[in-house]
Amino acid sequence: MTPLLEQFLSEARDFLQGIGEKLMQLEKAPADAELMTELFRFVHTLKGNSGLFDFPEMTRVLHAGEDLMDAVRQGRVAYSQELADRLLDAMDFIGMLCDEIELNGAIGSAYAAESARLGASLRQLISVPGTAVEGVPLAVPSSTEQPIPTPAALPPLETLPEVVRMAAFRLAHEGEPLHWLTYTPEEGCFFSGDDPFFQARQTPGVLWGGVVAREAWPKLLEVDAYRCILDFHLLTTASRADLDEYYRYMPEQIRRVAIPALALVQPQGDPNGGPVYEDFVVEALDTLGRGDNGSLAHAARTMLELSNPDLWLASALRWLLLLLELEPDNHAAQGVVIESLRNLETIDWLAVTAMAPSVEDEPCTAAETRMSPVEMSPEEMSPEEQASLAALVATQRAILGLPIEAAWQMGRVRAVISTLSGCLRACQREDEIAGLEAASAAALDDASAAPLLDWLDRHFSTESVAPAPAAPEHKATEAAPVVVLPAEDTKSAGEGEGDVKFGRRAEDAFSGPKSLKVEQAKIDLLMNLIGEIVVAKNALPYLAGRAETVFGVRELSREIKAQYAVINRIAEEMQDAIMQVRMMPVSFVFQRFPRLVRDISRKLGKEVKLVLEGEETEADKNIIESLGDPLVHIVRNSLDHGFELPEVRRAAGKPSEGTLTIRATQESDRVVIEIQDDGKGIDPEVVKRKAYEKGLIDETTLERLSDQEAVNLVFAAGFSTAEVISDLSGRGVGMDVVRTAIEKVNGAIALDSEKGRGTRIRLSLPLSMAVTNVMIIESDGQIFGLPMDNVVETVRVARTDIRTIKRSMATVLRGRIVPLKSLNKLLGLATPPIANDQDELAVLVVRLGEESVGLLVDDFRETVDIILKPMTGVLAGLGCYSGSALMGDGSVLMVLNVKELM
Amino acid sequence: MKRILIVDDAATVRMFHRTILESAGYTVDEAVNGIEALEKALQSAYDLYMVDINMPKLDGYGFLRELRGHDIPQPPAIMISTEAEASDQSQAYASGANAYLIKPSKPEQLLVHVRLLIGEA
Repeated sequence: MTPLLEQFLSEARDFLQGIGEKLMQLEKAPADAELMTELFRFVHTLKGNSGLFDFPEMTRVLHAGEDLMDAVRQGRVAYSQELADRLLDAMDFIGMLCDEIELNGAIGSAYAAESARLGASLRQLISVPGTAVEGVPLAVPSSTEQPIPTPAALPPLETLPEVVRMAAFRLAHEGEPLHWLTYTPEEGCFFSGDDPFFQARQTPGVLWGGVVAREAWPKLLEVDAYRCILDFHLLTTASRADLDEYYRYMPEQIRRVAIPALALVQPQGDPNGGPVYEDFVVEALDTLGRGDNGSLAHAARTMLELSNPDLWLASALRWLLLLLELEPDNHAAQGVVIESLRNLETIDWLAVTAMAPSVEDEPCTAAETRMSPVEMSPEEMSPEEQASLAALVATQRAILGLPIEAAWQMGRVRAVISTLSGCLRACQREDEIAGLEAASAAALDDASAAPLLDWLDRHFSTESVAPAPAAPEHKATEAAPVVVLPAEDTKSAGEGEGDVKFGRRAEDAFSGPKSLKVEQAKIDLLMNLIGEIVVAKNALPYLAGRAETVFGVRELSREIKAQYAVINRIAEEMQDAIMQVRMMPVSFVFQRFPRLVRDISRKLGKEVKLVLEGEETEADKNIIESLGDPLVHIVRNSLDHGFELPEVRRAAGKPSEGTLTIRATQESDRVVIEIQDDGKGIDPEVVKRKAYEKGLIDETTLERLSDQEAVNLVFAAGFSTAEVISDLSGRGVGMDVVRTAIEKVNGAIALDSEKGRGTRIRLSLPLSMAVTNVMIIESDGQIFGLPMDNVVETVRVARTDIRTIKRSMATVLRGRIVPLKSLNKLLGLATPPIANDQDELAVLVVRLGEESVGLLVDDFRETVDIILKPMTGVLAGLGCYSGSALMGDGSVLMVLNVKELM
Repeated sequence: MKRILIVDDAATVRMFHRTILESAGYTVDEAVNGIEALEKALQSAYDLYMVDINMPKLDGYGFLRELRGHDIPQPPAIMISTEAEASDQSQAYASGANAYLIKPSKPEQLLVHVRLLIGEA
């Protein structure tokens, strides 16, 4: 994928996001003109971007969307829910295409039908009677103007067979560009793998080709067969761009000249084969003068039948007939051909065209103007450039003719002057710049555009310039000179206004958002690196310890410790800074809810208002991302089962529109997300009964359970209260999946509900999961880590205080019975726990859900901050470890997953 | 080295034009809206402006009008727009544009215009 495409996709997704948001906002304020303009701009820009690539499926839909929004913006079409629905559908489709492009680099043909359907469905909304809006097709400024003869000698076209030239002449009249291409391969080209003959023959649009030796051939014995001394000459209908593209690896080896069609008109043949019919020439010119093309053609045809077809005469007549057919009004050219019968010389079209001004009195024909000497341009000027030049000049003429705009008139005129001088330089007519400058000075002094218009008329004749397709409606008024405001006035006015309006604004520093988009992978790398620094720095205290105990250099030990303090501070700050980079606002997950709630509640026929609060609350990217699916599930549940239908709500004395609030707040080092609805709530009795029916609880529990406890049964695995499984939330996965997902990122979930009043679900998540604080314990000579989140306390329990109840060990701590388990046993190690000198065992009390469990270990060590790396590969199957981390001394610490362990 | 200022709010379009222009040997600067463009234009000299119409804060017309109202060198400006705005050509010229191209324009076509306006053979 190219960087441009990546940029496009990334920007497209932003725009899609923006479009979705604006549509949601419009739903609340359907008359907000500013919102509509914004929305239009988004769709419009996105379409513009897509047009840079070859994604017709995408552009088609966006184009329709743009036209639709344009109509809405201008008030031709009213905004409606229907419209929003269709537009949202279309944007979903665009999003899908973006994914497709990202995946495959292109859009599969399978999307064409859907694209057409969506495009049509959008357009359907625009076609209000009488205001049908079609994409306003406007041709880009291009011209079918013929190329212009170059002052440089034309290639020896007359050596080409007449048939070829006639065919080319016809093609040129059909609008094909004609180029004469000379390809001069390097002498050593065979050694660089070139195949000049093949290269030349494969040139696009070849009509004729010839091979010529560059120098006289040496004696056969001396010929170096590995040296290429051939030149290739080609006549082709390929455009300049195509040729450049085809020869892009050897641009210095080709020369291409645009061939004016008329240059092909060259009679050839035996000049001496027959008499010159002077009478015929005189008569023909006479007929031509009367403009009687029919008689002329007839006479030429009769003459042709009488002549030997190999004669020059016959050839000239054939050309005359062709000219009469294709350029019936180009009498000048026809005359030239007839004249050539007199002298039987090759027609020098350049000389002829130089004469053209003398026939200026005659009605100008397109062909004649083409020959106008003013239009003579350097050979490098292609037809495309000629057309653009003509269009540009016409535009400048038009601009000079525009009504005066006081404030920026001078600037506008000066921009025209720079444009014209640019054009002159571009066609290497620098000598005329002096004239332009004089005219400009006159124009600026006289405060009138007239001198410039005069200059334009003299140097770029009006007729010769193709009417620019891009020229504005109001044509340039050649006659009426436009009065320009006195220069000084304009200047001062311009300055004054500029200062007032912009002097201040510039200082306001409207700089764009100072943010960068960075790939996730780069941040992850930084995260890993800082993780390593944290680990590496932990080696310093260890070294200090060794310096003192092993080598006995206490002084060095102290210095190492001091240095450690510095590095530690920097590392911590760095870690914080990188964490900050990873922080994302919860709006990232919240933003999908307006659309989700709207779509689902409509589908269910419910009225729900969504309130989002604390969207700016931030948490680590991984946390935010892990929040997405559980939240969607909860919201769906709430919409599906929580909210009642409007009539039910009214009957219960509640407003028919329910309110769903999603609120994010930060509480110390945790993010808390609350999802609250004012629906029917959860009936503890129903839950209890269900749980009992499904065998999740036994009869005694059933009676003992408080309402609060009962309600929390919805989190039990295999529990689903929905009577009917709907396509929305009842997908066989219940709240237990939500709970698991939240707990996976060290989060907690709590639910309280009041029957008839609503339900509130509270998710509490760590702000960051990048750094884990673990306690190191020792067991059977090995060290293990345990997340501090799980640790309640560490105690030493005398062996005598350990009781055995029903074959499991337990002890009493602060009046509560705590079951004890041996870590060694859990890990499958045979060694019994080691007691200390006082015959006390180390007990690590850990939290396991609502309960506390004591783990018998050998000894406690310190707590450390580590970057937990999840187990990968085969090891990922070891559920009892949540991951590993590297320690300061280079050893690996296995971090236990308490829950799985038990 | 000729300097060109691209004024467009769409990053993709800016990148597209930048690539074309830089490969043709021009130096390119970018602005994301009319205000930023004007700041840049007042601070440094350019040989050509390529201006999008529809932009936040200050659109292409507004930018050109303000620009042409200042007493600074006035290089040519190409206004680049999409079909939807094609009817706005006269407004573009009135605001001080010297050429008008429809995007997406072909790189060759764009370069032809740039070459002519900047005045390079």
